Amino acid sequence: VAETATPTIPGRCKPLSSPTSILEEARARLHVSAVPDSLPCRDKEFDDIYSFVESKILDGTGGCMYISGVPGTGKTATVREVTRALQQACDDGELPYFKYIEINGMKLTEPRQAYVQILKQLTKQKATPDHAADLLNKQFTTRGPRKETVVLLADELDLLWTRKQDVMYNIFDWPSHPHARLVVLAVANTMDLPERIMMKRVSSRLGLTRMTFQPYTFRQLQEIVVSRMKSLKAFDDDAIQLAARKVAAVSGDARRALDICRRATEITETMSPSKKANILVSTCHVDAALQEMFSSPKIVAIRSCAIQEKLFLRAIVAEFHRTGLEEAEFAKLYSQHISLCRFDDLQPPSTSELAGMCSRLGSIRLLLVEHGRNDLFMRVRLNVSQDDILYALKEKSGV
Amino acid sequence: MAAMEIEEENPVKNISKKISCRNQQIKTLVSLIGQREQVAPPTLFLYGHTGTGKSLVINSLLQTRELPHVMVNCVECYNQRFMYEKILNKLQGLRSYMNDPDSYLKCDNMNDFIRMFRQVCEDRGLTKQTVYIVLDKAECLRDKEINILPAFLRLQELTHQNVCVVLMTEIVWEKFRTGTGYCEPYILNFPDYTKDEVLTILTEDRPEGCEADFYSMYLNLLLSVFHMVCRDLREIRYLASLNYDQYCQPIKTGDVLASDTRKLWKNIEPHLKKALQTVYLREVSSSQWEKAQQETEIGETPSLQGLSSRNHVELPYYSKYLLIAAYLASYNPAKTDRRFFARNSGKVDRRAKLIKKHERTSNHMLGPKQFPIDRLMAIFFSIVEGKVSPTANIFVQISSLVSLNMLGQVAGDDQIDTPKYKCLVSLEFIKSVSRTVGFDVLRYLYDFV
Repeated sequence: VAETATPTIPGRCKPLSSPTSILEEARARLHVSAVPDSLPCRDKEFDDIYSFVESKILDGTGGCMYISGVPGTGKTATVREVTRALQQACDDGELPYFKYIEINGMKLTEPRQAYVQILKQLTKQKATPDHAADLLNKQFTTRGPRKETVVLLADELDLLWTRKQDVMYNIFDWPSHPHARLVVLAVANTMDLPERIMMKRVSSRLGLTRMTFQPYTFRQLQEIVVSRMKSLKAFDDDAIQLAARKVAAVSGDARRALDICRRATEITETMSPSKKANILVSTCHVDAALQEMFSSPKIVAIRSCAIQEKLFLRAIVAEFHRTGLEEAEFAKLYSQHISLCRFDDLQPPSTSELAGMCSRLGSIRLLLVEHGRNDLFMRVRLNVSQDDILYALKEKSGV
Repeated sequence: MAAMEIEEENPVKNISKKISCRNQQIKTLVSLIGQREQVAPPTLFLYGHTGTGKSLVINSLLQTRELPHVMVNCVECYNQRFMYEKILNKLQGLRSYMNDPDSYLKCDNMNDFIRMFRQVCEDRGLTKQTVYIVLDKAECLRDKEINILPAFLRLQELTHQNVCVVLMTEIVWEKFRTGTGYCEPYILNFPDYTKDEVLTILTEDRPEGCEADFYSMYLNLLLSVFHMVCRDLREIRYLASLNYDQYCQPIKTGDVLASDTRKLWKNIEPHLKKALQTVYLREVSSSQWEKAQQETEIGETPSLQGLSSRNHVELPYYSKYLLIAAYLASYNPAKTDRRFFARNSGKVDRRAKLIKKHERTSNHMLGPKQFPIDRLMAIFFSIVEGKVSPTANIFVQISSLVSLNMLGQVAGDDQIDTPKYKCLVSLEFIKSVSRTVGFDVLRYLYDFV
């Protein structure tokens, strides 16, 4: 009994099969992990970063670049693309040799672990954070018998923030030393991060070389999907356009657009399993996928509540209307609930039962409730708008 | 089949025989517990007032059927580590009853606890039967780390072991709920004993050589005095044992026959009424009470001095005046100071005074109000006899009154220039203090003028 109660992800018994149908092939190409050879719609940014890093490598100097943009705009993918291209050029003998290092703030347990990671990738040494900082300082600030340029990608920069900001300071300070030959590419989400959280002396070392990745427009998103679907007739053009326009209107996140298209292929497969061979994903399938992704689950949750729970939600709205406040005590809600029960000719629940309902609605976050030890004085607020509740409840009773 | 039923039925009857007036609860619990190898409900939540037999029922149930169980009082485990280690080691020692340091298990988080719990159950061969963890005073679990209560509520699921957690508390389940919800336990209420039930239970433990009818008559008399104020079984049992000798006194001396209830009642009633005011409130301890009873036997008048009658504290002369001044400052409105303490007080409009007196609520009802030190010193200088210079001594006495908890500092220690205080002593106390210095405090209190 107990073993089946906890949900788990089923294990994979046999290896993934290679795609057989067009839709499966499309799904494999649309996966976020399938990074294409060239990133469409980011040519200008690619060129800028490439020429920045290339010039630093050729001159044998160092520098910083701050790259910002909302999630899903291709920042990390572009930087990786740049380093790949540079390495290619290096192999061809057009550029001197350089070393590429990558750290991610999200993957570090603690900001000072960044030193350890950098040192490990640079020299394969292991050290404590303090010792690693000393070694790196020595390496970057003193003249040595070296050496090649080091290109450092610092992803999720905002998580390297410490109270003293020493990690950020060091990372931006090293390139300014004459013998460092370090190029730092700092990536974060917000454009004004240097002004907002960095001290003046840190943000001045970061320098003025900044780049912002704008969210994709619907044309760009369309191009991204189309480029992945090259020579594969799986999508209707209008379907891609619909997905692109919807995503561009909300966030401009390329991952989101790809996910929706993937989901749309799945929906297409389930809706018409018989003629698998030559079916196109049409707008209605994309529309269904969009509905799934963007529609609010709260309304569905309210509609699937029990009768007394719905009545309780209605009692909350009624009480808010009565008092004109957005917060009410449980005792007041109880008396309101009892009178609503009388109107509807239902058996009114006891306070314990209603407290149980209240805490259940609180646990699925339709309500915001306090700890149960306040019992009758427990204050209750709504986590959905009152209009949503009225809409969800009216639809039901109207039918 | 029939034999098994009898075998199962016997312990229930045995327990019910031992524990009276809890048949319904015992029946429910026995049916929930079921057979040894059957899966019990993951959690049982037993609640009821103090002295309703929660621990007694569950203890005797688990002990008579010799089920593997662990009893833990949550008050003792102020740290989650103590709790886990206690449960694990008690479970480990179930068979061996030896506590050698080598096999003492150490565990300081829930994750380890679940792993080690399975291990211990496997080692002890308990995988095939239900293990019971009984947590007394479970309301303390709410104040511990936030993951403990939800984890205990689904321990069966987390450990994959046939385990049943029994929570015992005095408060209802609603007061436990918080956050993202819990697995709901099976809730079982232990209602209070009725008067008849209390009588039945108390008659069972009558002293030796005493007839049941005679003792239940005594209990009837006792309950007629105490049942109005006290339903707590333990308290009533305690009072019954304390006053029984006094009740039997006239029979021993031969003044009254055992059958003459009326006379016995006449004899004991004032005594019980007095006990209500003294022993029940713990004004005098039970040993003092027994001593006093012996004194009355010999014919002396007992000298019972309660705790609260001893509210007499030796204070220095100026401290007394400072305390009186603080009391006046706390319970008098500031605008009446002029009237009470100035040499030539302004004329009070008599009519206004009369009207006001009807409207205003007593300051003694609202509790003490805070006052600045300047006002305290002004009142002090006006009521103290003779000329007092404001030396450091006087100010030190204020702070020592604060450390004696007779004054309370209101705004924290950081305010040095004008600290504010409250007077924390009662009217009775201040009356007795002012009597010692010959000061009529009631004449200066706004509420009594």
